[in-house]
Amino acid sequence: MTVDLSRLGRDKLFLVLSAAERLKQNNVRIIRALIDQGYRVVVITTNQPSGILKKHYTAEGIDTKKIVFIDAITKYAIGRVPEGETETKFVNNPANLTDLGIAITEVLNTTSGEKPCLLFDSVSTMLIYLPSIHISKFIHFVTSKLRLLDAPGIFLAVEKGIDPLLLTQLTTYVDDVIDMDNSHEE
Amino acid sequence: MEQKKEQPSGKEERRVWILGVLGAACIGLEIVVHLLFRTAVGYTHIFYILLVLSALWYHRKALVVAGGLVAATIGTSLVVGDFTWATILRAAMFLVITWIVAVISEERNRALEDLREKNEEVERKHAALVGYLTEASLRMKNPLEMLRDNLASIRMQLDSGPVTEEQKMMLSVQITHLEQIIENFRELTREAVEEREEIPLAYREFLKQ
Repeated sequence: MTVDLSRLGRDKLFLVLSAAERLKQNNVRIIRALIDQGYRVVVITTNQPSGILKKHYTAEGIDTKKIVFIDAITKYAIGRVPEGETETKFVNNPANLTDLGIAITEVLNTTSGEKPCLLFDSVSTMLIYLPSIHISKFIHFVTSKLRLLDAPGIFLAVEKGIDPLLLTQLTTYVDDVIDMDNSHEE
Repeated sequence: MEQKKEQPSGKEERRVWILGVLGAACIGLEIVVHLLFRTAVGYTHIFYILLVLSALWYHRKALVVAGGLVAATIGTSLVVGDFTWATILRAAMFLVITWIVAVISEERNRALEDLREKNEEVERKHAALVGYLTEASLRMKNPLEMLRDNLASIRMQLDSGPVTEEQKMMLSVQITHLEQIIENFRELTREAVEEREEIPLAYREFLKQ
């Protein structure tokens, strides 16, 4: 089953909702769809280490050269940066939004000529480390930056994992909400 | 909002007008009926409308209005020359009725105020409870579900071969997530129980640990 991101040219920002148990598979489906459309994908991961994601993508036949990682969990979880991960930007702590914001800005600036698209995996994991109000402000900051750069962005979240207030706020920041498991677009 | 702010002053103005008109009517009756027609029968019943309304709206301050009517009644009786024990009784009744209505009205207002404060307290506690449950769900239940799925995925990988460095790393990430979830739970519980005087101190201390 392919992901319908055909409106990515017209609409720029999406909130993608997925069932918790299918988050990993849906991540792969989105990456595949974006690479097929010629995007250089900037993956911000707070859920799984970038090294593992990279291997997973390779196993799924995805060209990881088209992907740039901003990893906010590996260094925090294992206390060091894994060897041979020179192309990945590591952030010390997923709760450090200043560093995360700087890393996003730097990566988007360096990839600006390569049709970049941001994939945020995931809003739900961020909720472990930060109160919803901080996350809402941060997503607003990121979406504003993406709009200024005219770059698309996809924010992955667990379906039913966001409270109505946060969901309303996030919905106002993006152009479209896609429920991947119900194949229903709002 | 502005309309709401204007409501009390508009209401207040209406009350002043009603009492002013009634006051003027009472003084008019006193002059026309008592002073001119020389009779003190019947008309003073109208005074009670003014006194009861004043006491309802302005409580004990209405005793000033009652005092004014007492002075008017006694004054005209002295002029007309029909000052008797009945005049004193009538004047005393003005003051007593006004005082009784004022006290009842004050009690009623106090009870309404208590009720409003209790309702606000219940609403505040309800909002805090909903806030706690929402944040608990967001920062504990849902992340735990995600953690369960991640662990299930690692478990499946472990079935297919020996333990790899990646699997160890994934487990480290899950432990980090779990530590943060426990910290979130502590933080939320601390905030929830801190100001709850109804929870015994020993339990409050235990819950805050």
